[in-house]
Amino acid sequence: MIYLDNAATTRMDPEVIDAMTRSMREDFANSGAVYQLGLNAKRRIQDAQAQIARCLRLPAPYQIIFTSGGSESNNLFIKGMCFPERKTAYLELEHPSVTTALESLKEFGNPPFSLLKHQTDGRFDLEAVKVLREHRVRLLCLGHVNNETGVVQDIPAIAAALREGSPQTQLFVDGVQAAGKWDYTPGFWEGVAGYSLSAHKFNGPKGIGLLIYESRLNPRPQIHGGRQQYGVRSGTLPVPLIVGLAKALEVSTSRGAKVRAQLQALRRRLVDGLREMQRNDPHFKLTFNSLPDAEATHQSPAIVNFSFPPVEGEVILHHLEKNEIFVGLGSACSAYSKEPSRILRGIGRTVEEALCSLRVSFDGNNTLQDVDAFLQEFRQAYTALYPVYHRKAAHP
Amino acid sequence: MTATILVRYDEIGLKGKNRRFFIDKLRGNIRARMGGFQEVRVDAPHGRVFLECAADDADEIAQRLQRVPGIASLSVGRTVEPDFDEMARLGTAWITPRLQEGRGLTFRVRTRRADKTFPGTSMDIDREVGGRILEGLREKGLEVSLGKPDFTLEIEIGAQRTVMFSQRIPGLGGLPVGSAGDALGLLSGGIDSPVAMFQIMRRGCRVHAVFFDNQPFMGRGGYDKVVRLCRLLGRYQEGARLFVVPFEDIQVAIRDHCRPANRVVLYRRMMYRIAQSIAQRHRCLALVTGESLGQVASQTLENLDAVSRVVAGSVFRPLIGLDKQEIIRQARSIGAYEISIEPHPDCCSVFMPNRPATRARIPELEDDETRYPWAALMEEALDRMETLAPAPL
Repeated sequence: MIYLDNAATTRMDPEVIDAMTRSMREDFANSGAVYQLGLNAKRRIQDAQAQIARCLRLPAPYQIIFTSGGSESNNLFIKGMCFPERKTAYLELEHPSVTTALESLKEFGNPPFSLLKHQTDGRFDLEAVKVLREHRVRLLCLGHVNNETGVVQDIPAIAAALREGSPQTQLFVDGVQAAGKWDYTPGFWEGVAGYSLSAHKFNGPKGIGLLIYESRLNPRPQIHGGRQQYGVRSGTLPVPLIVGLAKALEVSTSRGAKVRAQLQALRRRLVDGLREMQRNDPHFKLTFNSLPDAEATHQSPAIVNFSFPPVEGEVILHHLEKNEIFVGLGSACSAYSKEPSRILRGIGRTVEEALCSLRVSFDGNNTLQDVDAFLQEFRQAYTALYPVYHRKAAHP
Repeated sequence: MTATILVRYDEIGLKGKNRRFFIDKLRGNIRARMGGFQEVRVDAPHGRVFLECAADDADEIAQRLQRVPGIASLSVGRTVEPDFDEMARLGTAWITPRLQEGRGLTFRVRTRRADKTFPGTSMDIDREVGGRILEGLREKGLEVSLGKPDFTLEIEIGAQRTVMFSQRIPGLGGLPVGSAGDALGLLSGGIDSPVAMFQIMRRGCRVHAVFFDNQPFMGRGGYDKVVRLCRLLGRYQEGARLFVVPFEDIQVAIRDHCRPANRVVLYRRMMYRIAQSIAQRHRCLALVTGESLGQVASQTLENLDAVSRVVAGSVFRPLIGLDKQEIIRQARSIGAYEISIEPHPDCCSVFMPNRPATRARIPELEDDETRYPWAALMEEALDRMETLAPAPL
């Protein structure tokens, strides 16, 4: 089995499973209880928080809130900060948990301001900062690494430009596709009001994520209850999941440099292989939706998205599946909708290019042999299917 | 403690000389549903089926019986001696907890006397038992109401046993599965086909299913979905099979060689042919489909005619005159709706024509079918067919 859909989710690291198994046996007490057993559980959470802050090189004045995952973190910050009438803006290229959370404010007469015109290849144009000021936007929401294309926003540069040109605009970053692979520095956080991440994207468990935000902010709670986590997010804390998240972050941080080099090599092999296929097959119309040669500051090496009309991505996916090779079709949340990807359409691809695309995404478990096997099976499936589509186009 | 469950079947009761056959089927089907319970005795004296079971199991058994076609209604109660005092004691025990302080309760007794040798009329028994109960509980607020009582105590006196109960739970009605033989349903994973199959099951058929699979183009989602639908339908019938026929080669051939507008009708003609061939091998005397007149392009009068002509046997289309809303209502009531609406496309866009013919012409279809080796492809598909026996959900 070759798993190349790591942007959808990753397999859990054995070290994480061990840490969680131990925690599930030992840390069963409610971390809100005042007896020793509860205090021990609370201690585990505090240790995990400290470990998380270390791995992310988070400066002191940040709050860490545990949530059920990236979607909840994004909803909590966006609705918690902007409901009902603070102006928001986005590129329209973010994950649905950001775009639809923002669009839910439409109901209160507060639609998000679209900056779709102000981007190149999915990257935010710094020029747009003055537009944000003109429109009195209070929160700009961006994805750190785009979930379909892997294109990276230059967060420190955007934060600096906002400070300079639109100081009233805060910056919220969906970091779900970045965490576990990104090399955070203390300087990264300057000007970031909020940041979300999700453990299952970096070999941790599903069902746990983080919302990190500047501690002077007060997002309104979306889940009320026993006032855990400063009342911002009530609910008994799942200690084993928290332990798993912290462990996964620790493991990925310690292997960080090595894995980043490996991801670059994997991406190189795939991009070169596809280009070679294009040279050898005049029918094969290859378009990269990711930036195939860009540095890690512009493009995550973990995601390669490309189009190959007229063959549909979904059909290739099922052909690859027969050979136990699993790849993605853009965001899993929209994979069933059958609509062409909003993100690929947004960066200027045609409907056909958007439907005829695949997303290959790596993690540290992948090898060059995986890429070679993918290339071979992809070529075979494409060659078999091309005539089917070609004839379809010939007599409609 | 044991409970008695009394099962009524009204339609079987109308049968003439082969009535015993239907009752034995029903009793067999009921027995087959009793897996996991200890010591359930099932017997069928005149006009009824009785189950004796542990009192703790009774509610769960009653739930299962509600899914057995052929049962008109059922009641959970107790077998008693045909003695007025004993009957009154049990009735009092049932009514007492319902008599809340200060708030009255109305009741009546209704007797059915199947054993006419039992002395007195039914009304006499009502009075005897009702009077005894009333005597003890009048001070707590119990009253008689023959019109709309809060509580009806029913007594059924048969030759072999007397049963008391207080509720009638509706059953599915219809006829016992298997009493009519076997049929084969074309199952797509949509909303309609499971409802159609269910309706024919209710009329006494065991309905096997055939699914036309296109995994290389569509993935495994459709396959998993029909397996779940078959497991769900397995709640209502025993021993049905699911035949999965690989269909991609046939679709590719039709796509590549035939008139684009006719594709959908041509696909369906092949489905019917293959289904008929499976039906013959497995002694199914009819095909069952979920078609509803005019619902989609392939279900116009002309197109239904064009597909029906390729098979000689019966095709049952129980939904033919139903509206979509009614079909959805039925799908919900059998529990199939939630499975059916799980998003999974039923045809890949590669195979869909831009403008499907709504009135395919038979000579054209026949001409299309000279352009690809359908008989050979059909044999190949049947050779590669997979046969499953999905366990009931």
